[in-house]
Parts: sequence; C-alpha cells; structure tokens
Amino acid sequence: MRDSVFQTLTPMDRFKGYCSFLYRALQANFTYRSSAFLALLTSIISYCFTILIWRYVYAHPSPRLTISRTAMFVYLPLAFCLNFALTTNIDIRIGQRIRLGLIATDLLKPLDFQFLQMMQALSDAFFNFFLSLGVFIVAVLLLKGNLFPASVEDFLAFLVSVFLAFIIQFSVLFLFIQGIFYTNSSYGISASRLSLHLTFSGISAPLTLYPLILRHIGEWLPFQNIIYVPISIYMGKYHGLALIAALVHQMLWALGMYLLGYWVFKWTLRSIEIQGG
Amino acid sequence: MNELKIYWSVFKSSLQAKMEYKLDFLIGMITSIMLQLAALGLLWVVIHQSPLLGGWTGKEVLFLFGISATALGTAELLFNHIWMLPYYIVMGDLDRLLIYPTPPLPFLLISSPVLHSFGNLLTGMVLLIYCLSHFHEPWYIWMMVPLWSFCGTIIYTSMLVCICSLSFKFIGPYTYNLNFVHSLLQASRYPLSIYPNWLKYLLLFLIPFGAFNFLPGNFIFHKLFGLFGAWIAPVFAALSIWIAKQLWTWGLKNYQSTGT
Repeated sequence: MRDSVFQTLTPMDRFKGYCSFLYRALQANFTYRSSAFLALLTSIISYCFTILIWRYVYAHPSPRLTISRTAMFVYLPLAFCLNFALTTNIDIRIGQRIRLGLIATDLLKPLDFQFLQMMQALSDAFFNFFLSLGVFIVAVLLLKGNLFPASVEDFLAFLVSVFLAFIIQFSVLFLFIQGIFYTNSSYGISASRLSLHLTFSGISAPLTLYPLILRHIGEWLPFQNIIYVPISIYMGKYHGLALIAALVHQMLWALGMYLLGYWVFKWTLRSIEIQGG
Repeated sequence: MNELKIYWSVFKSSLQAKMEYKLDFLIGMITSIMLQLAALGLLWVVIHQSPLLGGWTGKEVLFLFGISATALGTAELLFNHIWMLPYYIVMGDLDRLLIYPTPPLPFLLISSPVLHSFGNLLTGMVLLIYCLSHFHEPWYIWMMVPLWSFCGTIIYTSMLVCICSLSFKFIGPYTYNLNFVHSLLQASRYPLSIYPNWLKYLLLFLIPFGAFNFLPGNFIFHKLFGLFGAWIAPVFAALSIWIAKQLWTWGLKNYQSTGT
C-alpha cells in the first residue's frame, strides 16, 4: 500500500513533502525554544569544567604539550559550538515513538523514513546553530578575533566539512537507533553512542593531544570527522592535497554510514512486529 | 518498621520488573561502563599532557573517579526516581503519591531503580580496589571507603531533591537544573585544587561533593586537612538531608495539583 503510493508521487511531490516536514519540525523547535535555551545553558556549564581543566594544564605547562595555549582555547569554544549545533534529539524522539507504537504511522507515510529523520535532524541543527552562534559571538569578543577562520578558502572548506559532519552525525545516530527496536529503554543505545562520541570526536581536546593508542582507535571510527576534522579545517591545519584528502575521507564516511543505516533499517523492518491495539 | 517493609517491597518489585528486560540490563550496564571509560579517556589525555593535577598523580585521581562512580551508581540504584518529579508535577501524577499512607519523598525516591546503575557501581568498585591495593592502604581505609561513598550518594541525592523542590514553584517538564547538579558531580572527579577558588568553595561547602571524595582523598594520600578530611563526609551528608527535607516540605506546601 505504502509502496504503491510512494511510486505515484513525483520527485517534486516528495521534495515538497520533505520540505514541509522540515518546516514543521523547525516550527516545533521554535515552540519549545525555552527548553532549548536551557539545554544550551546546561551544556555551557558542563563544558566550562572541561575548559577549566585545560586552563589548569596550560597554567602549569609540561614539555609534552604540542599545541599552543592560544590554539587550544580557540579550538575548545569552536568544538563546543559545532558539537551543540550538530546535537539532535532524534534518538529520544524515535525511542518514544517506538515505545508508544506511533512508529507505525511514520512507516506508513509515503516518504523515505531515513530521509524524513534526516530532515528532522536538519531542523534541530538549524535551530541549535542559531543558539550556538550566540556562544560563538561571546567567544569572539573574549578571544578578540582569534576565533575567525584562517582564510576564506578554509572557511568555505569548513562549510563543506560541516555539511558532511552533519550527515555522519545523523547516520551514526540512525544506525544506533535501530537498537531501540530491540530494547525497552532508549537510554542504553543513546548513551553508548554518546560515550564513543565523547571519547573519539575531539570534543574535549584536539586528537593530536591523545595518547597514540587512543588516536589509532579513533582513526578506525567515524567520530573524529564530526568535530575534530571540521575544526582543524577551520583553523587552517589542512592545506592543498591534505585538505582535499580530509574532505574525501569525510565524504566516504558520510556515504558509507548513510548506506549502512539504510541497509540495516531495511533488515530491522523485516523483524519488527507492531501490535494492532 | 512497617514503612521500611513497604519501601523494600516497592523497591524489590520495581527492580524485578526492570530485570525482566535482560537485554536492557546488559546494554545499560555496558553503556554506563562505556561512559565512565569515556571520562577516564579524557583523564588519560589530560594526564598524558600534565602528569600532576593540582598535586595529584593520575592514580590518585582514579580514587576520586572511583568513589564518585560508586556514589552515583548507588544513587541511581536506590534513589533515582527524583529525576521524574518535574514531569509528575506537570502531569499531576504526584497526587497519587500523596494519598499513599507513607511519606511521599522516600517512596518516590526508591520506586524506580535504573539498571545502568550496576555499570557505574562495577566501574567504581574496580577503580577503588585497584587504587587502594596499588597504594597498599591499611584495613581501616578499606572500611571507610563504603561509608564515604554512601555519604556521597546521600549528598548527591539531597542536592537533587533541593533543586527538584524548586520545580513545585517553577513548573515545567525540565530536568536541566538536575543536569547542573550532575555536571558538578562529574567536575568533582578531578582534584578541586585545579579549579578557581569560587568553584572550589562551591564544591566544598554549598554543593559539598568535595566532602565525600576530595577531602577523604586528601586524608588517604596524606595531603591536607588530616583527620578532618576523613570524618567530615557524614556531617555534610546529615546536613544535606536536613536541608533537602526543609526544601521538600516548602515545595510541597506550594504544590497545586493540575486538577485532572
């Protein structure tokens, strides 16, 4: 039934459907703006402790520190802003809908479920981007212009990199979400992704400061492409071929994770049962 | 005595119900261990750059991580339901609790243990055992550690109750203010001596997480405060319970049901 309706829709119809979903998701985000603002405030407070730890380390420098104090305190606020902008609640939303059985109505819609969720995540990202812009402006004022990109080319490459980071972030989330179909609570699934993100994305420190073994593990995971790579591009750490290689690497992760999510979801759908109560 | 029996049977049945979901138990446990490992990962990165943190070595800091993890795990196992209070106030679900023949606060606290608490408890215990054996601590320290950890559970839960009591006055389905308390607990896993004075005093006196980890740690590793560091945790725990009780009573007086 769903598939036959899907086939009758023109690409333009589908595009309109996705846009309409994105618009409504944005409206919903603006309706709950006080909640989002409180979330931002809590995240800032939490992140301040990380900054304070690094503040202490740089006040008592050791020869092992390979990054200058200025570079570190440019990296940290940028990492915070990017991480907050890419934060999305689709795992919580889908978790609730699975538990309540409302996922059935989502699956009946004649639009691609994965792409619809990406639109939802995009609306979260748009909304959070504007909130984190406030933090960015405060950081620019505090750091007196050090926070600006290294060059226009770096900034343009950064924009591409952030777009790819968004797809990777979404795709990783979507892959983990599949686990919620098999559990009663979404906590475990969400938190396991979060723990990997916290360790390997570079949110708390640039990966160049990591012990070698952690760095090697991180290279085999997609998480560094979400925070560390875009911020390094913004700060002008990649040039010429290295920059292109970093973007291609991100693109491959984005494509690979999206397709993996697609195939795993297809497989998951085969095994779920929806109660008709 | 009867009340204790009621609490125990509520806790037991709630835990049994949750344990029915075996996959959730397993995933929750693995996840909380992963989250602790993520925090230890940052400590590793920091120690890699600066081997001494406020005069504490990495292995000494592990003690702070361990005792905080066990305190958090115990709080999540025994008193976790406080996180739902803001939602209950909004939905009017608290009315149900108020008509039970037992004091509502303890009943609320114990009635929803979470399974990932076992992961935090396990990680914390492993860290503590490693740390205490590494430093060849005497038997009386091994005996004191569970007391400090339980004081931590009491202080953490009391602080959550204090903050949650504000939800009676400032109504909304938000737990962000509780996350603030949680963030402070996470911050107290590092030696307080690395933080600016205002934060150090905040974590020692106002939201006294330092009383159950930093001060006892100072006593164990022969740094500052001497015996004061060993005995202050129960005092702060008792004080925290008293303040939490006062604020809870104040909050309940302000409670207006939704009328639904």
